[in-house]
Parts: sequence; C-alpha cells; structure tokens
Amino acid sequence: MTTTTAAPSPLYQWWVLSARTLIPAVRGGELVTALVAPLVFTVGFYVPLQRVIALFTGGAVDYGQFLMPLIALQAVAFTAISAAFLAATDAVHGIDRRFATMPIAAAVPLAARLSASTVKCALSLAAAIGCGYVIGFRFAGATAAVGFCVLALTIGTVLTLGADVLGTVFRSPEATTQALMLPQLVLGMLSCGFVPIDQFPAWIQPFVRNQPVSQFASSLRGLADGTGAALTPTLLWLGGILLVVVPLATRTNRRQR
Amino acid sequence: MSTTVTTPENSVPALVRHTGLQAGRLLTRWRRDPMTVLQSLAYPVLLLLMLEAVLGRQVSAFAGQDALYGTVPMVVVMSALLGSLAGAVTLGRECEAGLPARLWVLPVHRASALASRFVAEAVRITVTTVVVVAAGVVLGFRFHRGPLAAIGFLAVPVLFGLAFAALVTAAAFMAAKTVVIEAISLLCTLMLFFNPGFVPIGAYPDVLAPVIRNQPMTSAVETMQALALGGAVQGPLVRTVAWSVALVAVCAVPVIRGYRRAL
Repeated sequence: MTTTTAAPSPLYQWWVLSARTLIPAVRGGELVTALVAPLVFTVGFYVPLQRVIALFTGGAVDYGQFLMPLIALQAVAFTAISAAFLAATDAVHGIDRRFATMPIAAAVPLAARLSASTVKCALSLAAAIGCGYVIGFRFAGATAAVGFCVLALTIGTVLTLGADVLGTVFRSPEATTQALMLPQLVLGMLSCGFVPIDQFPAWIQPFVRNQPVSQFASSLRGLADGTGAALTPTLLWLGGILLVVVPLATRTNRRQR
Repeated sequence: MSTTVTTPENSVPALVRHTGLQAGRLLTRWRRDPMTVLQSLAYPVLLLLMLEAVLGRQVSAFAGQDALYGTVPMVVVMSALLGSLAGAVTLGRECEAGLPARLWVLPVHRASALASRFVAEAVRITVTTVVVVAAGVVLGFRFHRGPLAAIGFLAVPVLFGLAFAALVTAAAFMAAKTVVIEAISLLCTLMLFFNPGFVPIGAYPDVLAPVIRNQPMTSAVETMQALALGGAVQGPLVRTVAWSVALVAVCAVPVIRGYRRAL
C-alpha cells in the first residue's frame, strides 16, 4: 500500500488538454476557418467600399490603412466566438463534469481552452495582417507592429475568456454562437474602425465614438501608425470586462467540483 | 359515424387541403420559435437600419440616388435566401426524426408534403418583404411606379426565393449535406457583398464588374430596384425569371427523388 501513482503535473495536464483542442482544430479544418475569416472580411468590405469611401472623403482616407485594425479585431472576435462554441460543447456533452471527477487542477481545463484559442487567435491575426498588407496597410515601424500585435492579442484573450464563460454557462453551442455574432456585427459596423466617425449621422455619433470596438480600433490604429493613440479607454474597457468575467470564470469553474 | 372522407387521397381537393394543413403546421412552428421570428423579421430590419446609418450617405453620394433603393431589395432577397437555408436544415432534422415517414403511412396526398414547404416559404418571404419594405418606407423608401409595380416588387423575391429553396432542398437531400449547405451559405455571404444593392456596380474593381453583373442575385435586386424607382424592368426581369426557371428545372428531379427516398 505504499506505492501511489504520481499525478501528472498541472503543467503537463495543461499541455495535454491544449493539444486535445488544437489537434482536432487542425484536422477538422477549423483552423482554416480562422485563417479564411479575415480574408472574407477584407474582400467583403474593402473591395466594394474602397471607391465609395474614397469618393466621399475626397481621397483623404486611405481605406486599406483605415480598415485594417477592424479586420484584425473581427479576426480575434471570430476566434473568441469559436471559443464560446467549444466551451459550450464541452459543457453540454459533460466533458467538464468528467474532467471535474478526475485529479485535474480546477484551472487546467479553462487554461487549456484559453491557450488553444490564443494560438488560433494569433494565427487569425497573422492572416489579418497579411490581408492588410495586400490592401495597402503598412506599420509605421517594428515597434508599431509589436505594439499592435500585443494589444490585438490582449483584446483577443480577454474576449475569449468572456466567450468561454458565456459558453460554459449557457451550454448551447449554436445559440451562444449566434447570439455572439450579432454584437460582433453591430459593434463592428457601428464603429469608427469601419467608417470615419464624422460620416455617421449625428444622433448616433456619441454611441459610435464611445463603444468599445471603436476605442479598440482607434488604439490599434494609433499604435500601427505610430501616432500614439489614447490607450486609456481601451485599457479601461478591457479591465471592466475582466472585472465581470474573471469572478464568473472562477465561479463556474469551481462550482462543478 | 356520419363523417367519412369523401375525396380520395390523390384528388386535387385533397392536395389543396393537405397542402394547406401542412403549410399551416410549418408556419405555426416558425411563428412559435423565437429564434426563427428573430432571424426572419428582426435581423433583416436591423441590417437595413445599420446599412442606412453606416453607409447610407456615402453610397447615396456615390450612386446619385438614395442608397435605400439598393439596400431594401438586397436585404429582402438576402433574407429570402437565408430563410430557405434555415428551412433546409429543419427539413434535414425532420427527415432524421422520421416525420415524413410517419406522414407517408397516412392517407395524405403524395405531393402535399413538398408543395406545403414551398407554400410556407412563399408566405414567409412575403411577410419578411412586407416588414422590410415597411421599415424602408419609414427611412424614406418609396414606390415611384404605382401599385402594380409595387405588387411586382413583392413577387420578385417570392419567385427567386422559391427557386433558391428548390436548390437548397435538393442540396439537403444530397449525401454530404452539411458541407453543401455550408458552401451555399458561404456563397450567399459573398453574394451579399457583391451585388449592386450593396454599392453600385461602378464601385467595384473593373475586373469584378462582369461577375457581379451576371450573378443571380443581381438580376433580382435590379428588377426590384427598377420596379420601385424606375428604369428598364424588362432586361433584369427576364434574367431573374430565367435564373429561377433554370434553378427549378435543374433541382426538380433531385428534390422529388430525395423526397421519395426520405419518406
């Protein structure tokens, strides 16, 4: 009775569970979707609107340079939505509960889902930047590129954590995904990442200016152009989301024990 | 008892009655599913409002006419297509659950199951169109060619939507149905961005213009635009009818065969 099997270290458990999510994503073509989504977004919005926006602004706005931060944001939001799908699938199929009965540290399944999603997020972001370069977007320099990527990935990770919690709580992959598509579309289109703020009707401008996606887009644009945008609103929004989401994540991932 | 069914199950009155009954069933189902109501009524209106708020002024300036004469037809046609896709998914689920097979053992007219789907689709498309047009009228959309053209305006999405429903129903019966349906919905998304209702054809790169001019959704949007605003109706109308007839002709046999096998 002296021999006990050493439980694998949490780090190793995290590695195994991350691979569990990532390998099927590679095999099932889900990763391809993460790469194609920014392309669809670029083609769908840049190609039809480029001349329209150029004419309206008298050529003052280079739409490729202008639109790219929003393409990046849509890319990371898209991977966050697929994270919600994944979390809801795990919850509804009883995977979470099964993990809870095993000697796995409470935070490991969540951490594994998060890190797998972050990998997808990074790949999707890379695809978005590639698309941006095709339509004429350029970073002001190496520092600009690093700052842009760090902020975009941070936003992506925060959104992913939120989406993961929603998926775990609502336990319905399809409904959660569909419900999240709506804010992605509405906040994306009604943002000054899509169209310059002064082109919106006056009554909607206050909303457009202050909603988080606009703030994210402005910060990202400032970083990419090297003009140094106001980061405070973006960081406050992210902090606010975390303030709501982290306690929820802790609760949902503890309650199941 | 005294009530006996007098008409045989394969008679025309039976077809009409059974089609009505089953179409009623489908419509009741849609009406009671909040998600379907949301998707077929609220989403299109929301999309129209957003397009108007975000891009209305820019596109109007580019087109030289109110952008609503593009967006209203586009949103109407788009929701007709997306609704058919959702209908095909429902159909697939019902077949898996064995519902058609259960109907098949009852004295039901053989064609009514199929006919009722198309009747229900037509009702759904009409309701969506009326709601979207009403929202458009609030924003400033008007019919400039009188009531007859307005009725034509309502009929175009029904015709085009039913032809598309034939396509997705055929796809739903095919072996790899999820892949096919996903491919079709991706194609739909692309058509949403590449049709003259979103921005005028002149806004697209010159290489793309011929593709956009000849894709099926364009003809429907252009017909509706001409019926509301003015301009040549005949050309786009002929193309819309041709596309619809061609789709139905190609898909009729797979749909009927698929139904027989599913039942």
